[in-house]
Amino acid sequence: MAVVSVCRGTRSGGQAFAECLAERLGYPIVGREILQVAASDLGVTEAEVTRQFDRAPKVWNRLAATRHVYIVGVQAALAEHVAGGNLVYHGLAGQLLLRGLPAVLRARLVAPVAARVRMLVEHDGMTPEAAERHIRNVDATRARWVKMMYGEHIEDPALYDMVVNLANTSIDAACAFTVAALRQPEFEVTDEVRGAFANFRLACRVKRALVTEPDTRRLPLEVAAHGGIVEISGSAPLLSTGETGDRIAQITKGVSGVTKVRLKVQWFDPYP
Amino acid sequence: MAIITISRGTMSGGRAVAECLATRLGYPCLAREVLQDAAKALGASEETVQQKLQMPPGPWDLLTRERTAYIVAVQAALAAQCVGGNLVYHGLAGQLLLRDLPGVLRVRLIAPVPVRVQALLAQHAHTNHAAAERFIRRIDHQRRRWVRLMYGVDLTDTTLYELTVNLESITLDTACVMIAELARQPQYALTDARRQGIADFAADCARHLEEIVGARS
Repeated sequence: MAVVSVCRGTRSGGQAFAECLAERLGYPIVGREILQVAASDLGVTEAEVTRQFDRAPKVWNRLAATRHVYIVGVQAALAEHVAGGNLVYHGLAGQLLLRGLPAVLRARLVAPVAARVRMLVEHDGMTPEAAERHIRNVDATRARWVKMMYGEHIEDPALYDMVVNLANTSIDAACAFTVAALRQPEFEVTDEVRGAFANFRLACRVKRALVTEPDTRRLPLEVAAHGGIVEISGSAPLLSTGETGDRIAQITKGVSGVTKVRLKVQWFDPYP
Repeated sequence: MAIITISRGTMSGGRAVAECLATRLGYPCLAREVLQDAAKALGASEETVQQKLQMPPGPWDLLTRERTAYIVAVQAALAAQCVGGNLVYHGLAGQLLLRDLPGVLRVRLIAPVPVRVQALLAQHAHTNHAAAERFIRRIDHQRRRWVRLMYGVDLTDTTLYELTVNLESITLDTACVMIAELARQPQYALTDARRQGIADFAADCARHLEEIVGARS
């Protein structure tokens, strides 16, 4: 079985689709509550993490790399669930947070704006005009968020394994054929896939440890794990104290599951 | 049971998915046959019809609506095939030619250019990498422009299709299983009302084609 990430616009039927999948497959399901876990791990409020995910970053914010800290926090919280093997995730940015992992089905759901407006009018008592404004505003903000943080267009089908249009297809039908797909060999969680999930979790734990320490939180570091061996690459300024590398290694070694640290950081002189 | 149209870029692996699907569901699998029927109706060659459905129209075509005659002919040929019921069509513009018919399962298959370049190179050993990539990008551009000029929509817009499958990560077999399962769902069943709708649509297309052929002669 596998991990499914469901990306959708607000009121597109994504939650119902995710619940249907979880029920038919017997998988655990995780949504926005992941933000609460991430907030607790990072020592901030859930509202702050939500704000960073729901609003498009401003340029200064992006430069300050604040947003990066929250992404790492949410990714690490999600990685803990993924390591279990079977999961339906219908929270934010799953297709980006989990990219590159095997046995992950990245689904996107699209639905006509008229149908989404109707949902808001019926369930939330909004006027059609206000509902449409709300939908367009949320869609635009999320698209801007993905563009600024990942340089991708949220509607680009190449970001997903499949895009389902719910204009004519019912949620039950979408659920049925997705279950059929997940029973195919490429979504089987083999020992190799479990290993990849465990490596992903360890790398995420290390990234979270690095971004929560003031000494290392602003360094653009890449982390890869294989077994208990963690390789850290990227670039960092060479400071006169010469202690940054030691600090990175020390923080990394403090993460549970790390047996060895390989530093492949490119050092540069920040004062030419 | 259903009518399925498969839209795909050249060398995307779409033909293999269409053939797999047709075998799995026991449906006929059509592409060129429809162009051949259209060519016969217009007294033109198959190549001409294909070119008219792929190359973006020039100013003269747009002014004289010459291109419309070819579209109507292909639409009429495809509609006539649909009257029989179950069908997998993986030829040009199926999702647009049948857009007025409810209950058609419109699928788009995508694959990254490097994968398609490799597929082209595997088939044509004498072609070099750069030429293969140029060819694929040119065809993509032409088809996209054709669709924009003739129908005013973007070929890659996922809302034109019921399902878009990325063949970079999904195998042909899995794509085939997914689409077959979707085709079995009640909303794509060919009910009596839908069969009647298809018959009416095919009759309208045939009448329209007759008028055009009559006017041309």
